[in-house]
Amino acid sequence: MSVLWCHRQARVGLILLALMVLAVFVGPLFVGDPDAFVGRPLDPPSLSHLLGTTGQGQDVFAQTIVGGRTTLGLGLVVGLAVVMVGSVIGGLAGYIGGRVDDVLSFLINVFLVLPGLPLMVVLAAYLPAGPGSMAAVLILTGWAWNARVLRAQVASFRRRDFVEAAIVAGESPMRVLIVEILPNMASLLGGSVLGATTYAVGAQVGLEFLGLGDLGAVTWGTNLYWATNDSALLTGSWWTFVPTGTCVALTGLSLALINFGLDSVTNPALSADVGRGAPGPQPTPVRRST
Amino acid sequence: MKRSLLLLFLTAVGCAPPSHARPEGVVVVVQEQQAAWIRNFNPFNQTGGARWPSAAGVYEPLLIYNPMTGAYTPWLAETWRWVEPARVLEFTVRSGVKWSDGTPFTAHDVAQTFALLKANPALDSGGAWRILLDVTAAGDTVVFTFAAPYAPGLLEVAHTPIVPAHIWRKVAEPTTFANEEPVATGPFTEVRRFEAQVFELGRNPHYWNEAAGDDSVAALRFPAMSSNDQITLALAQGDIDWAGAFVPAVERTFEGRDPAHHDAWFPLVGDTIFLFPNTTHAPLDRPDVRKALSLAIDREKVVQVAMYDYTVPSHPTGLSDGYADWRIDPVPDTDNWVRHDPEEAARLLDQEGFKLDSDGVRRSPDGVPLSLEIATPAGWSDWVRAAQVIARDLRALGIDVTLQGRDFTAWFDRVTKGEFALTLGWAVGGPTPYRMYKGLLASEGVVDVGTAAVTNWHRFGSVTADVALDRFEQTTDPATQRAIARELQQVFLDEAPALPLFPSASWGEANTRWVTGFPSEADPYARLSPNSAPEPLLVMSRLRWRDAKAAP
Amino acid sequence: MTALLPHLVRRLGFYLLAAFAALTLNFFVPRMMPGDPATAIFARFQGKLDPAALDAMSTAFGISDAPLYTQYLDYLLNTLHGELGTSLTYFPAPVTAVIGTGLMWTVVLAGTALVIAFAAGSAIGAWAAWRRGGLLDRIAPPLLAFIGAFPYFWLAMVAVWGLGFQLGWFPVRHAYSPEVSPGWSLEFVGSAIQHAFLPAGTMIVASLGGWLLTMRNTMVGVLDTDAIRYAQARGLSPRRILWHYAVRNAMLPSLTSFGMALGFVLSGALLTEIVFGYPGQGYLLLQAVRGQDYPLLQGLFLTISLAVLAANFAVDVLTLVLDPRIRR
Repeated sequence: MSVLWCHRQARVGLILLALMVLAVFVGPLFVGDPDAFVGRPLDPPSLSHLLGTTGQGQDVFAQTIVGGRTTLGLGLVVGLAVVMVGSVIGGLAGYIGGRVDDVLSFLINVFLVLPGLPLMVVLAAYLPAGPGSMAAVLILTGWAWNARVLRAQVASFRRRDFVEAAIVAGESPMRVLIVEILPNMASLLGGSVLGATTYAVGAQVGLEFLGLGDLGAVTWGTNLYWATNDSALLTGSWWTFVPTGTCVALTGLSLALINFGLDSVTNPALSADVGRGAPGPQPTPVRRST
Repeated sequence: MKRSLLLLFLTAVGCAPPSHARPEGVVVVVQEQQAAWIRNFNPFNQTGGARWPSAAGVYEPLLIYNPMTGAYTPWLAETWRWVEPARVLEFTVRSGVKWSDGTPFTAHDVAQTFALLKANPALDSGGAWRILLDVTAAGDTVVFTFAAPYAPGLLEVAHTPIVPAHIWRKVAEPTTFANEEPVATGPFTEVRRFEAQVFELGRNPHYWNEAAGDDSVAALRFPAMSSNDQITLALAQGDIDWAGAFVPAVERTFEGRDPAHHDAWFPLVGDTIFLFPNTTHAPLDRPDVRKALSLAIDREKVVQVAMYDYTVPSHPTGLSDGYADWRIDPVPDTDNWVRHDPEEAARLLDQEGFKLDSDGVRRSPDGVPLSLEIATPAGWSDWVRAAQVIARDLRALGIDVTLQGRDFTAWFDRVTKGEFALTLGWAVGGPTPYRMYKGLLASEGVVDVGTAAVTNWHRFGSVTADVALDRFEQTTDPATQRAIARELQQVFLDEAPALPLFPSASWGEANTRWVTGFPSEADPYARLSPNSAPEPLLVMSRLRWRDAKAAP
Repeated sequence: MTALLPHLVRRLGFYLLAAFAALTLNFFVPRMMPGDPATAIFARFQGKLDPAALDAMSTAFGISDAPLYTQYLDYLLNTLHGELGTSLTYFPAPVTAVIGTGLMWTVVLAGTALVIAFAAGSAIGAWAAWRRGGLLDRIAPPLLAFIGAFPYFWLAMVAVWGLGFQLGWFPVRHAYSPEVSPGWSLEFVGSAIQHAFLPAGTMIVASLGGWLLTMRNTMVGVLDTDAIRYAQARGLSPRRILWHYAVRNAMLPSLTSFGMALGFVLSGALLTEIVFGYPGQGYLLLQAVRGQDYPLLQGLFLTISLAVLAANFAVDVLTLVLDPRIRR
């Protein structure tokens, strides 16, 4: 973590993410009910309503803060879940090999070739609206990619000397996986969670924009859905549309920046990025001893 | 060198700004929301398979009911009369009408059209043969005999599109016939152009209606637009001349863009939107509970939030302004449970045994909290908003309300089968209140939970109403009909089978920059909305291309 | 090359099996969902449909009451013969005709956008890695990541509103102007290109960051190798080293992703089509789902699955050919 902090971009990312998480989880205590009709419809930002009002006279600022709670919260949970499912299935496939690997690989590949967005649309259209359904849809369509990557990594680790040594020494497969292999994959797993979270947030917002989410809930996606419904841009009410979109982008940016830092940590060739200022252009990168 | 030439070419092409000019005489209409056009002008394939103009511009019916005048306009039939009241109907067809291929139109075509529907039930989506016994043509008259006295049957018969016998008798499979080169009597029958993205219908060279004799409108153009957003944008840009879409904040998005030419008119003569309670589901089986729920709803807020104030709270009888002379007016306060009175609502619930406990939760005498779920189609944003407001109002009474949104077909499946507690829905319209009250009160419409019901989703039947409806079917005398209609309204007010919310507005937008003749609030000769075939025919006969010399 | 044959055959076998699995899923998934085509038709009429007509329509549409496994076998046989059935929402057009309305446009738009994004992104990424730590390298990745993090439809709608509506520089809907007709004329091609600017442009801008990053990170690793140092020591020109040696070696992971993305082109760009009113497979799929149009849904899933599998297989072959390490 300290290495990440030294990486300038990752540092910015971590701070940004922390601020956002703080805002959406603590913020709702300070803003009013986002569903309440508090003002004139489509009022521009003012002192009483920091980000103006929606087409129905609801407070945009409250909606943005409260909306982030569901979107970010569900995004993080789904991101973790996707990686967990992926690592269990991928890990088993990579570790055990043989028949089990064949079957699990086949399963992974079938899910990989199923087109994601159409499948999401089909599932979201029929399941009853709610966060549980949304989570199910996202996990079902997102686990395969991670599984494939993690399987390859576990498989390659499996053949490494220190793992072979541990097995010969009589360590149980569970212990080998958890104690020997997983710690070495820490940064890969971390990167996967970041990537999966980005995917979860983006997919949620996309599905809700299509009207496939729970329209009764207040989330970033539904905020954008209603803003579009009220012809936000045509009426010139940019404040109903821009803040939420920017929040989603900032979330994605913060995760990406942290990922840049994580890349530097894992890839020795990239580690030269850590702590750098603005050196002149050089054809050959400087290698830092790791 | 080649690469830079290509870049130059691309930039040049890209740099020419798109033009919004209009070729002479082409009127742009958008009614259907489709991503791509499939060529099908079979007027009986109204499931979305046939293009909209098929029953409104290409083929024509015998009469057209005009809700703005409250009367039938003779169209392909010049006169009509009941030979035997409510049982035998006779039409005299218009003389001098030709099909678009020059063949004369006769009463034989009318009889053959109905014979076609009888032989192919899949085409008879209006259910004409459910009520008809026989159709015969002689000379220039057609006689319809009903199986049982059924005065409202005039509508089904009058609105059936008439197709040419000499073409359709040669069709092997009418159900799957796409009718790509329609031969019809309507104003626009020649398919000038048909692409997936746009199609155009040119004028019928033999059109009979001299009132529409001005050929200045040469063609109707239909661009494919798949969503309300696209239509709203196109309307704002002035790229559409006639549409029937739900436009949010229409004064700002559409009318404000070009106040001289952009006109939106949404008369409240449509069907009423109701909140249907499942009357088989306790405690919604008790009229006073239903009335209490209704009194709790702030309809002004619903209309403001969900419908941008385009409509108004419903009349207590559920009848919109289109039925102004049928309504009981004024409705005495004791009978009016379609007003906002939360105190009265609370009192009624208390009286029914549902009292508030210390936590503000309303419980039944057994201590079970009163809990209801409102089902909505997930994608219908205006209904979702309405449901949200209703939920808030009911929660204020102490009722535990949840919203359940589902995709349209999943929602529809459940509500028709009676698997719901509360749902929004539409009532059936028509020239008289008969159809609406039949759908709301008739016992014959009540089916078991688990079987799909055509209209009576709330599963309520009233014997008193059955008797009144039966008498209505037997009489063609307007005064008697009005008296019976008042009886039906009284049953409705007493029993509260469903809770009326607001009359739906007939969406209509017009752009008069290139073409004039549209109806408007100032000139309400017909509805502007193209959404209810065959009424658009009334509008099409009046459209004129603006004089090019006159400055727009 | 012959040594690769058994491996290739094995891969092909896997793909055929996966195709079969996809076909089966295509059949069962829509049928597991609540509702059915008959209800959908009923719904579209908003309840005004005569029940007898509904029954007759169901028969006409081919909605069968036969046991599921019979329907499944019929479906498999018909698919193998290329008979994809009749669409219900676009009745009575055959599914192939409906798919045909959008297929060409999807391939052209999404395909072109993908190729341009891949080529431009990778080129910029390679250059950024070459000029490590320089201005481009410090600014491009975070900036493009930020732009790419906006929901795509958000970028698209802002583009439509700003460049199309307010400034009027670009058309905002459809694939070509309604004043021209499809054909090989300069006007049509010009109009098609003009109408593709915003859709393709937004797709490219949104995905550029991803390609850039993949290429840059791989390149950095490649540039760090002895092979490159040797080439530099030998005095080869930097330009030659960059494009001839470094990029070629760094291409492999990007190429794999590109191949997979190419396969998914046929699933259409749903959000692009919705925002820009552009014809294509994505919106047809949404409509098929909403209308419970089983034949159309199956047809679309089929084309997409086959395209993805074919692209995957092509990528596998390409990888085998290009990467000497795997052959061992």
